[in-house]
Amino acid sequence: MNLYEHTIVARQDTSPAQVKQLTEKYSKIVEKNDGEIVQSEDWGLLHLAYAIKKNKKGIYMHFKIKGSGKIIEELEKNEIIDKNLLRYMTVRVKKFDLEAKYFSKKDEYEKKEYKRDYNRD
Amino acid sequence: MPSKKRAGNKKKGSGQSNFAKLSIFQPNKYKFKKSCPLSVKGAPEVDYKNIRLLKKYMSENGKILPSRITNVSQKKQRELSLSIKRARNLALI
Repeated sequence: MNLYEHTIVARQDTSPAQVKQLTEKYSKIVEKNDGEIVQSEDWGLLHLAYAIKKNKKGIYMHFKIKGSGKIIEELEKNEIIDKNLLRYMTVRVKKFDLEAKYFSKKDEYEKKEYKRDYNRD
Repeated sequence: MPSKKRAGNKKKGSGQSNFAKLSIFQPNKYKFKKSCPLSVKGAPEVDYKNIRLLKKYMSENGKILPSRITNVSQKKQRELSLSIKRARNLALI
């Protein structure tokens, strides 16, 4: 069993219903292959640093998956064909960082960092 | 004519450089080498999702800064460059 972090970027003009469909579609694939989604994050609409296929923004979805490498094979096979997606990336990690949320609540994260700086002094 | 003026304005060498003042016998507080900012206790973890951290170690043009400028240790610099490249792929940076 391995731990994976999987991120997909959808086109900016996909409707919220379609986004839901996408997440359901891919989480089903994970479940079919005896995997488990430990956590799924919705980063929402973010500005892309550079244009991809004439898109300036993208909808980011992030999954933390536990399972074998076959899941990733299956996922990426489907994502390569998917026209709603711009990018996908999988990273194998040794340990999940379930607390840090860099995108969902920006203010809280900033506060945390300020506290850290304060403690250091 | 102007060339002569310039020659006159030239200053004499302002003594020795600052390094000459630092002798071996002085206490350690004159150490001028900083330690790695990412290896300290309580330092933030390098991760491709932590854009705010990664941006600190990049130039304005989006290039990775060399470790001789940022004083990051070899190990952390490797982690940094890997996570910066991951973030680039996702168009986060």
